[in-house]
Amino acid sequence: MSDAAIARPSLPRVSAQAIAGMLLAAIVGVLVLYPIFFLLQAALDVGDPDVRPPTAYGLGNFVAMGHYASILGNTVAVSLAATAMAVIFGFVTAWILSRTNVPYRRTLEQLMAVPYYVTPLLGAFAWSLLGAPESGFINQLWRAAGGHGALIDMVTPFGIAWVMALFEGSVAFFMIGAVMKSMDPSLEEASQMAGASRLRTMLQVTLPLVAPGVLGATIYVFAEMLGSFTAALVLGLPNRFYVVTTAIYQMISQYPPRLPLAAAMGVSLFAIMFVMMMIYRHIVTSRSFVTVTGKAFRPRRMDMGRLRWVLFGVCAFYVLLSVVLPLVTLIYASLQQIAVAFPAAANWTLANYRGALAMNAVRSALTNSLLLGLATATIGTVLVGLLCWIVYRSRLPGRGVIEYVAMFPQAVPRLVFAFGIMWAWLVIPLPIYGTIWLLLIAYLTVFLPLGMRTISGVMLQLDKTLEESAQMCGAPWIYRLVTVTMPLLRPGLLACWLLLFIASVRELGASILLMGPHSKVITPAIVESWFATSAELTAAMALIQTVVVAAAMAIFVVATRQTAEPGGD
Amino acid sequence: MAIWHNTAPAVLALKAEPIEVEDLSIQYGPVMAVRGVSFAVQPGEQLTLLGPSGCGKTTTLRALAGLERPSAGTIRIGGHVVYSSAEHIDIPAEKRGLSMVFQSYAIWPHMTVFDNVAYGLRVRKRPKAEIEARVRESLDLVQMGAYAARRASQLSGGQQQRVALARAVAFSPPVLLFDEPLSNLDAKLRADMRIELRELQHRLGVTSVYVTHDLEEALAMSDRIVVMRDGVIEQAGTPTEIYARPRNRFVADFVGSSNLVSGRLRPDLARDGLIALEMPSGEIVLGDACGRAPGAEPTFSIRTVHLQFSAARPEGTVNVWPVRVHRCVFQGDFTQIHVAWGDRDLVIRSAALEPIAEGQSAWISADPARCVLLEGA
Repeated sequence: MSDAAIARPSLPRVSAQAIAGMLLAAIVGVLVLYPIFFLLQAALDVGDPDVRPPTAYGLGNFVAMGHYASILGNTVAVSLAATAMAVIFGFVTAWILSRTNVPYRRTLEQLMAVPYYVTPLLGAFAWSLLGAPESGFINQLWRAAGGHGALIDMVTPFGIAWVMALFEGSVAFFMIGAVMKSMDPSLEEASQMAGASRLRTMLQVTLPLVAPGVLGATIYVFAEMLGSFTAALVLGLPNRFYVVTTAIYQMISQYPPRLPLAAAMGVSLFAIMFVMMMIYRHIVTSRSFVTVTGKAFRPRRMDMGRLRWVLFGVCAFYVLLSVVLPLVTLIYASLQQIAVAFPAAANWTLANYRGALAMNAVRSALTNSLLLGLATATIGTVLVGLLCWIVYRSRLPGRGVIEYVAMFPQAVPRLVFAFGIMWAWLVIPLPIYGTIWLLLIAYLTVFLPLGMRTISGVMLQLDKTLEESAQMCGAPWIYRLVTVTMPLLRPGLLACWLLLFIASVRELGASILLMGPHSKVITPAIVESWFATSAELTAAMALIQTVVVAAAMAIFVVATRQTAEPGGD
Repeated sequence: MAIWHNTAPAVLALKAEPIEVEDLSIQYGPVMAVRGVSFAVQPGEQLTLLGPSGCGKTTTLRALAGLERPSAGTIRIGGHVVYSSAEHIDIPAEKRGLSMVFQSYAIWPHMTVFDNVAYGLRVRKRPKAEIEARVRESLDLVQMGAYAARRASQLSGGQQQRVALARAVAFSPPVLLFDEPLSNLDAKLRADMRIELRELQHRLGVTSVYVTHDLEEALAMSDRIVVMRDGVIEQAGTPTEIYARPRNRFVADFVGSSNLVSGRLRPDLARDGLIALEMPSGEIVLGDACGRAPGAEPTFSIRTVHLQFSAARPEGTVNVWPVRVHRCVFQGDFTQIHVAWGDRDLVIRSAALEPIAEGQSAWISADPARCVLLEGA
């Protein structure tokens, strides 16, 4: 009897919540762990490459990676350079926009999100058009002005780092900005009241306080860089410059493919990224510095006098380089027969758009992408919403493990994950391989962390007692979810839907491996066009994709605003 | 301020039920938040769990509600076991039929006041007309009848508090639970609501369990108080019992402010059913043993308001001592006087307004019946 009193009661009652929890755990397990298992199996496969399951296991593939040490070096070099630039961009702009009285601060702050939507793909195309050594517009202008050779060369490792840094700079801005904003200004005021000068305050109080946040952002961005694929593909392939991701892609798509070696590289890459993410998590969650109290402070803004216009220029210049210049370049190129810096009147044309829209491949790829986007966003939001509830709100055992597994794809480059998915679903006797169903499964898997982050942020802010009071009114679980939780989480759910939709329509790394000849999607089609047809046509295709995504976003925003209940805040 | 309607509500007749808690323990990871707590609440009784933050009072309440899973013990409501570790019973919160008012009010901002109050009735699939009638009645009860169509997000804190109350009583629960419902209100409103809540509770005759860290609230609102610390019950009793006869140093200190004086037992000086203690500095204090046996270090608790301060020597021969005023702090409703008494300080709260000079000589006295021996001390 005394044993029973001490032991935690095991409850035989099976509730709707427990059933949902088990079902979700099973789904997440299959989506995430099953491909990972096959990835590991392939990496350890040292037997006959044509026989599955493997005939022999060993570490030979990892040893063989030694021949490709230069690729690892390339990856680290490019990632370090890009991270350094991105963090500098992010830190400087975050400091200017959160701690100084720079003019048009709010507008600039909103503009800082835009580089994130100008994908590395658009960036890579645009900077290739601008900075190719011979044909680049900037180099043409340089020679026209009397210069010799090439002023800049973007089809280089530096170009890859540059494009990625402009893109990730926006990410770093938001991460570092959040830290700077959440710092209690009285900490600095206390230093000044103790007689310390502004400089001393900055060096001894401000910097040490924001340092963990900046370090966290640096590690996060570096991990993302290691797994980045697009810019390295567009700007590296022409000169046979490979990073790990593009090398993996090359090994899988060449003939004969070197799948076990690609898998070993993928596993190594994700092991490194995993460690990075763990360090990042540790820094963010340990909070040995009481910088982030969760309280919103009104930060003290320094009066910069005339200098504030210079600071405005700095921020505006970043937006110019990362958004305006790439978009203008692509629009310009898409309207030219042959893109040169000094066009003749006859060179202007709409033929690229006509051509792109007339291509059956483009139409079906775009249709497929939009359908996949709709399906991924809708199914994904339901899946992630329930997952977040189970993980952050329920008392079910094992919820921590579910969260861990669901966030796992964050540490795996999408290309590598797609390889695992491909390998996993080839052996399943379901006719899924090569269809858009496989892409749907892949998208749902690789975007789990994106969705989880979006919804968990809103869910954790939602006062728990709002749901508990419904429970105390006698409402069963599903009833509570429908009447209280979902309406209150509406903004988060809508944001999640939109993010999943945009991410799916623009996905490249997983799609490029998994799409079949009859299930093309748009982004890989655009990349194929870049290498196979003309830059002008590709620019038109990329812009069409951008406009379609923007239009879909606009429709969504308008539609959801109309259904929003009036008077609600 | 008679806020409540004087007619007893017809529809909102609540059936009061008893609550029994036995050996309840609640564990958070390695921390035992509640350690073997037992108490009972009679039908229609208002019981308050009182204690400092972290004492386990809210955890205990949430376990009653079913929002927290205990690690051991038994909870019975209306004679039915809703939780038992031995029998592996854990009825989920929504099936226990209780009602709760939260510290945060937890008013749903996306609904109107009416929808908020009607929620519990709609869950129970009551007919529309009945829902309408009960919501009206509940809102009238808290003087919020005019606000039914308002969005909950447009209400002030005090109004939200009233709506939360209306929502909690609308579906006639047999037990009402309150988790520090007044702590987010300002002091004035809090004092008013205290009386209102007490009246409502009496009117509805519902069993209620109330959690607070505020002594005045507990004294004003309860039939019985359970004082908790570090997950165990320090003392349980009526407000007067708790206040007049604290069991130990913690209760004496937490429930109001007390002077604790320890000395040597002097059985030779005991008289009139009182016992006598000799202080290290020689003063003799006569006090009430309350039927408790003096321990190794016998200690009296003397409330600061039960020490009389006077400039001239008062009449009487016992518990009268000369003192010197150390410090005098005017606090509005009372003046707090610190006096040197033997080799230590005593604190006196006096309602008198006449100025007292620091450093002046004076007298203090105490009714021996107000000097209470602590248990086991």
